[in-house]
Amino acid sequence: MEQKVATPIEKKTLIGSRVKKPDAADKATGKTRYINDMVLPQMLIGKVLFAGRPHAKIVSIDVSAAERLPGVHAVLTGKDAAGLKFGFVRDNVPLKEKVLCEHDEIAAVAADTEEIALKALELIKVEYEDLPAVFSPEAGREASAPQLRENFPDNKSLRFEFKHGDLATAEAASDFIADNIFRPHHVTHCCMGTSCAIADFDNNGKLTIWTQTQYPYNYKMDLAPALGIAPGDIRVIQPPVGGAFGSKLDVYPYEPIAALLARKTGRPVKVIYSREEEFKASPTRQAAIIHMRTGCTRDGTLTFRSADVLLDNGAYTSWGPTIPVIMMRTTSGHYRVPVVDFQAQAIYTNNPYAGSFRGYGNVQTTFATAQQMDILADQVDIDPLAFHLKNAQKSGEVTPQKSFLRECVLAECLETAARASDYSRKRAAYAAERGKPGRYKKGIGLASSIHNAGGAKIHKSDGIGTILKVDDYARVTVITGASEIGQGIDAVINLIVAEELGVPLEHITIINNDSDIAPWDVGVHASRTTFIAGNGTRRAARKAKAQILKAAEKMLGEPAAALELRGGSVVRDQCGTPLIKLDRLLRQMHFQAEPELVMVTDYYEPNSQPEGADHVSDHSAAYSHAVHIAEITVDTLTGEIKVDKITSAQDVGRVINRMGLEAQTEGGIAIGLGYALSENMQLEGGMLKNPCFRDYKLITAPEMPELEMHFIESHCAEGPYGAKGVSELPTIVIAPAIANALFNATGVRIFNPPLSPEKVARAIHETRQGGN
Amino acid sequence: MSLATEIKFTLNGRPVAVRVPVTMKTLTMLRDLLGLTGTKYACGEGECGACTVKVDGKTLNSCLMHAVDCDGREVVTIEGLKTPEGMNPMQRAFVDHGAVQCGFCMPGMIMQADYLVGENPNLTREDAQRGLEGNLCRCTGYTKVLDAVGSVVEQKCCGRC
Amino acid sequence: MQDIKTYLSPRGIDEAVRAMAAGDVTVFCGGTDLSPQVESGARQYTATLMNIRRVEGMSGIAEAGNLVRIGALTTVTEIRRDPLVARVASILAEAAEHFASDQIRNAASLGGNICNASPAGDMINPLLVLDAEVELARWQDGAVATRRVAMADFFLAPRQTAKRDGELLTAVFFARPATNFVACFRKSGPRPALEISTVSVGIGGRLDNGVFRDVRVAMGSVAPTPLRARHVEAALEGKRLDADGILAAVAAAKTDAKPIDDVRASAWYREHLVQVFTEEVLNHVLGN
Ligand SMILES: Cc1cc2nc3c(=O)[nH]c(=O)nc-3n(C[C@H](O)[C@H](O)[C@H](O)COP(=O)(O)OP(=O)(O)OC[C@H]3O[C@@H](n4cnc5c(N)ncnc54)[C@H](O)[C@@H]3O)c2cc1C
Ligand code: FES
Ligand code: FES
Repeated sequence: MEQKVATPIEKKTLIGSRVKKPDAADKATGKTRYINDMVLPQMLIGKVLFAGRPHAKIVSIDVSAAERLPGVHAVLTGKDAAGLKFGFVRDNVPLKEKVLCEHDEIAAVAADTEEIALKALELIKVEYEDLPAVFSPEAGREASAPQLRENFPDNKSLRFEFKHGDLATAEAASDFIADNIFRPHHVTHCCMGTSCAIADFDNNGKLTIWTQTQYPYNYKMDLAPALGIAPGDIRVIQPPVGGAFGSKLDVYPYEPIAALLARKTGRPVKVIYSREEEFKASPTRQAAIIHMRTGCTRDGTLTFRSADVLLDNGAYTSWGPTIPVIMMRTTSGHYRVPVVDFQAQAIYTNNPYAGSFRGYGNVQTTFATAQQMDILADQVDIDPLAFHLKNAQKSGEVTPQKSFLRECVLAECLETAARASDYSRKRAAYAAERGKPGRYKKGIGLASSIHNAGGAKIHKSDGIGTILKVDDYARVTVITGASEIGQGIDAVINLIVAEELGVPLEHITIINNDSDIAPWDVGVHASRTTFIAGNGTRRAARKAKAQILKAAEKMLGEPAAALELRGGSVVRDQCGTPLIKLDRLLRQMHFQAEPELVMVTDYYEPNSQPEGADHVSDHSAAYSHAVHIAEITVDTLTGEIKVDKITSAQDVGRVINRMGLEAQTEGGIAIGLGYALSENMQLEGGMLKNPCFRDYKLITAPEMPELEMHFIESHCAEGPYGAKGVSELPTIVIAPAIANALFNATGVRIFNPPLSPEKVARAIHETRQGGN
Repeated sequence: MSLATEIKFTLNGRPVAVRVPVTMKTLTMLRDLLGLTGTKYACGEGECGACTVKVDGKTLNSCLMHAVDCDGREVVTIEGLKTPEGMNPMQRAFVDHGAVQCGFCMPGMIMQADYLVGENPNLTREDAQRGLEGNLCRCTGYTKVLDAVGSVVEQKCCGRC
Repeated sequence: MQDIKTYLSPRGIDEAVRAMAAGDVTVFCGGTDLSPQVESGARQYTATLMNIRRVEGMSGIAEAGNLVRIGALTTVTEIRRDPLVARVASILAEAAEHFASDQIRNAASLGGNICNASPAGDMINPLLVLDAEVELARWQDGAVATRRVAMADFFLAPRQTAKRDGELLTAVFFARPATNFVACFRKSGPRPALEISTVSVGIGGRLDNGVFRDVRVAMGSVAPTPLRARHVEAALEGKRLDADGILAAVAAAKTDAKPIDDVRASAWYREHLVQVFTEEVLNHVLGN
């Protein structure tokens, strides 16, 4: 038979291209079945009775009428959960016998319908005796404050410290010191899909829980004590979720409540929050009082930075009060800081409690450090850009906490953003306009920050398991621990597999939502997933490729080293000539005399070091910087800030999926903008006054400014193809950039976000009154 | 139990008859009685747009609309945008432009975007921003959403000239 | 909660008001106010639930002689896009432009906005400036009877109006403004819309060779009810609209506004904004 000369298949890389999320079409057509949409046969609806008061004794609780209501299958109270302690310091229980905050879960009902469950809640009679309460960390440390927790004298919860060098000497050597108190506020995640869990026990006592969790494996460990079962008896299934942003990085009471109700009734139980419940009962971003001081010499060299941080722990301890782990990295590592003095104390209060939230501690810290950089530049009287550049670290430098900045392009980020926005010229021009009459003032502000970009080894492991198989039809299945919460790891995994194995994107399936199937991962957080799961996927794909090419070598008699996988075929690497279709090769491998299947496993553990009690360790496999320059127009009468443009420059290591990278940056900026301008949980006496979107204002489409994004590629040696993690920095840097722009425009500085119209108007008004 | 009444209307091009409690909202009817879970609940008070559907050609928040008010009207949900050939141009544009992240807001966002372009074939980016002000998204920052809408406007424009 | 016994969807005004005469009727139209209020427990359904959306003769915008009539069922979208409104009462279109979102505007009725009687009701403000009247229909002696009440007299106390039990708001009327009538509306909030007014100010009048006459000033969200700002009106009436005149009006605005602190703004900010907007709106009027 005459052989046709096959056309060569060119080498094409997908790295840096635009790859669609594989789930987008189902999501765009309403086909995706989110956890919120799920209904199981026999499923009951669980509803929770919240205390609705900040601090009280439960004198009596009577559930008899609720229990008698037809359609009610179980009613649980604190008694049923006694001793089921869970949480970061085991200070929480699923249902409470004492009220410590507004959203304390007092009782729970499982019923045939939501209507019946709600009716049953109304029938529960609780008699409370209100107790004096604590609503701020300052008040909580007062000697006269009521002690909220038996084992925590002075209401002191977690404490963190890091000191490096001699503070007194550094202060004495400083010509200028910025000294301010910043008060980052309570905000919350506002996932569009409200919190939801579905629990079901089998008759061997094994629990299956459908949840929105972002960390399926440690989740088992954390959920188990809340139920009094073994972590191994929990199967975690993660259906599609409507956002997470850090809010699902811990166990929250509704999850064990669903499970307790399921155990009691022997039926699946779904607990799902209304928006109001979501506002009240989901975690917040950690609120803090940061007393920060930064010094420098007359020539603009930083001398020290100190931070004395007081954290509003709220009533229970989730990830919120652990943010000092990151706060201190920024305090010590945001620019070259020779002397560092950091301490943070969390104080129990009767406020809502905080979890982790995109930007984890760094949003709050950068709000302080980046404003103080601006304040100091002003005192030294140099262009902030020059001041930043003078103190910017370079590749190879190590911070006082031993963060090793292997590839550092901070200076390039600064210069790129400044050049693109014409920063220095505009800043000077706007400052010159400041005192002059005119209602609308323009301002420009620069801010930057540093963040871990290669995971963060706060657990003993920061690793991931990957299983990859290529079947007889050359279809690839990746079974990975990496969770997908909308951020787009699915597209990244597809891209990497296609890059390595030369198969079409559509021929790849990802299984990553069942803890009985997929292997270990620490969870989607800390900007780690593209870095960690990207490496894991690449390593697994390369193992599979090696196996395939070895088989090809045997079959074709050409050396494996000279072969490549491209366009669904084995080709000669040099010329691209296809030699055999991949699926055919795979079938031949399978059905030959010594049959083999392509199924590989990989465990990737990044080369970072565990955090450690002294906080001196290279805890991430990479670090990265971002610079934002915000241009704003301020209505000095109404106080409204219109953000006209944001220019960002971020060290992304290497662009993998450009579309996903842009999307993460844009979305991150939007969350940062809300934090900076409008979002605010208005707490009065521990009670949330604005549990609705009407009064808790997210950024809407018309408020979104023009974005100009520059991705700087530093080529991270440890990262997949050189990439670094990206998704938190865009949220972190925006608020201080706007605050600095506000100063540039008006001479007013605001230390307690959000920079809401009223706050800005008042500050400007008071400055003017004061000036008169 | 609340009083119920039977209503008849057109849902995604097909006639339906359903008995609904008179206090029930259209959103609940669609999701719980008719099994169309594409339309989402995210606030229940008209602030987020996740529940957006088209009624007699105009978009509304189905969480506020009494289901009984659907009687005799023409209702289109996200499931009804799809054509026999597949996704409608707006859905395809959202997918192609990477506008979908967690996707929870997207059924409502796409319904509204599709409506806007239908109402105004010369929709500008600013018009689209204004027109989408009733649709909250926590993931995307709206930028790619606006890119997607813009691309559909352009296609329409090209189709004519 | 009371059980609903009857659901009605009348086609005619007579049918509607006849049923309302029996009492205990909850009327809804777009439901954009009623639904969230019931959901939050602030309000409860009564024995009869009545959908008025299909009542004939209660929609649309038309001229009748010197009067402009807007039916109560007319949606905010219809007002926003109506050519007649744009021509003769652009302040109404302006307010519609800054009203909620497209989806809400498509559902929200004019009658609902007025009957809900919120101090933040955005259609109310321009209608006060236009000196509009509402038409109220009721069933009396076996027939439909109507009466008209000036908008300025309609809002009695928080969420309380001159509309009596059994009365249906059927339409709004206002005299076609004179050709030299100028009016302008301003609502606060960094967002173009989807923002419940922290404060709104509407001002209109005839500009007669630089002199401002028949001045009407309305303020939203600065008192328990929508407000005609009589002090500002007095400060402006018959005066030249110049820098001094504007200054006097701004000073008077403080007297009219009686704001409170709430979750959306402090009294200080509201009072501050009312002055800022009074000045801004007057400058706009001048500019026109
Ligand atoms: C997200 C959101 C944003 C909003 N933004 C704004 C805004 O920017 N500005 C603003 O002003 N409002 C706003 N509103 C409020 C609301 O949309 C308006 O007040 C709307 O006009 C009400 O009309 P409706 O047809 O929906 O009234 P419904 O809710 O149906 O009825 C409202 C009330 O009026 C009564 N009623 C209705 N029609 C009549 C009638 N003809 N005769 C007698 N009684 C009647 C009802 O019994 C009920 O008490 C907003 C609402 C939401 C949910
Ligand atoms: S669910 Fe209807 S607008 Fe939010
Ligand atoms: S894509 Fe997640 S809320 Fe819009």
